[in-house]
Amino acid sequence: MTYTFQWGEALKHLPYLLEGAWLSLILAFLGFWGGALIGLFGAVGKVYGGRLIYRIVDLYVVFFTNTPALVQIFFLFYALPEVGILLPPFTAVLIGLILNSGAYLTEIQRAGFISVRQTEIEAAEVLGMSLAQIVRYVIVPHIAKTLFAPLSSFYIWLVLGTSMASIFGVEELTGRAINISTTNFRTIEIFSVTALIYIAITILASAVLALIGRYAFRVRAKIF
Amino acid sequence: MPHLAVADLTATYPGTDKPVLRDVSLQVEKGEIVSLIGPSGSGKSTLLRVLVGLLPPNSGSVRIDGEAVDYTSRRSLKNARDRLAIVFQQYNLFQNMTAMGNVTIAPIRIKGWRRPEVEADAARLLAKVGLADKHASYPDQLSGGQQQRVAIARALALKPEILLLDEVTSALDPELVGEVLDTIRVLAADGMTMLIVSHEMGFVREVSSRVVMMDQGSIVETGPPAQVFDAPETLRAREFVSRILRH
Repeated sequence: MTYTFQWGEALKHLPYLLEGAWLSLILAFLGFWGGALIGLFGAVGKVYGGRLIYRIVDLYVVFFTNTPALVQIFFLFYALPEVGILLPPFTAVLIGLILNSGAYLTEIQRAGFISVRQTEIEAAEVLGMSLAQIVRYVIVPHIAKTLFAPLSSFYIWLVLGTSMASIFGVEELTGRAINISTTNFRTIEIFSVTALIYIAITILASAVLALIGRYAFRVRAKIF
Repeated sequence: MPHLAVADLTATYPGTDKPVLRDVSLQVEKGEIVSLIGPSGSGKSTLLRVLVGLLPPNSGSVRIDGEAVDYTSRRSLKNARDRLAIVFQQYNLFQNMTAMGNVTIAPIRIKGWRRPEVEADAARLLAKVGLADKHASYPDQLSGGQQQRVAIARALALKPEILLLDEVTSALDPELVGEVLDTIRVLAADGMTMLIVSHEMGFVREVSSRVVMMDQGSIVETGPPAQVFDAPETLRAREFVSRILRH
């Protein structure tokens, strides 16, 4: 092997890469909570909404879970300007991630809705709770607890998925790695360091999620 | 005026045509404890479910203190649910809340009552049901009997006038039945109006002012416990009593 590693070339860009990692985390965070909110309404619509609303939500879910997120973002970024909607890259990527995760999180949360014991809902009903109150006080905490594992893995998946933003010129972690490697050509070193940063931030995110789960929802999750 | 008056109530489960309640009429006076007995499937629990609005009646009327309940009106139903409380066979506690959380959620979040007063009241209720030391326990950390007593405290937290108890001891291990029955005895001594569905015949006989026997959706016999258990008038009641007394 004739390749000579020059780790210094990669490491001197560490602060620049870490700033990008922070942007990745922000994208994932906003994408997740935006998607979770859409998913909540989607799940309520599918479970309680009647046939028409079920159909509409289902169409959305089928469309967004059966096409790649990357294709959806391309569409937002390149097709919408044709009708006069020009989105900055960060916004286009964020909307794409939110719509995409909203579809997945609709299905995940719907499973949570269905798994709430009917008797608990009846008890809430006879105490005088409205549907919104039942969702807020009984169903959502139940979903957070029982679906903590799938929701956490989805969040990690989303952190990694933010790397798609680099294609649209958003300077998150992967975007910055590409920037550096196209100027110094130390691609292997740069992307090795980048991969390690991804591992570090996903472990960190998992640990934070497990802590939240343990103390807020009594989930028996391993922190490390 | 009766505290609770049910007249000619008929109800059918959705998707079936056979009525589960047929022309049921019943009156409960203030402070009275009326027990519903009868074989499984006779409509006892269904009657309670209709009263709290979990199953809409087909016809007939329900009046609380003379005021008719309109089960198709959200406002009227809410008003009725303010005055009636139900405790279920399976306790149905909210699994994500502590005992204290279960008891205080409705008064704080639905009624908007002030937290300090609600919590003081809840502490008093939990003490009354013998769980003064279990405020911070979650349902899965409590025994069945303890969960059922939390459920009773939760039902009382909204200060209902009439308490409906739906086979509250049926899901419990035999050694835990006594503690729940003791709790109900305390409420009875307080003068709470109660409608009880129970298979604990000894208990029914002891606490009830009146016993109502149901069979196939209808009331077949009603009277003081001594009469219904010792000298039932109808053939159907005699059969049921002789069968349960053989055990």
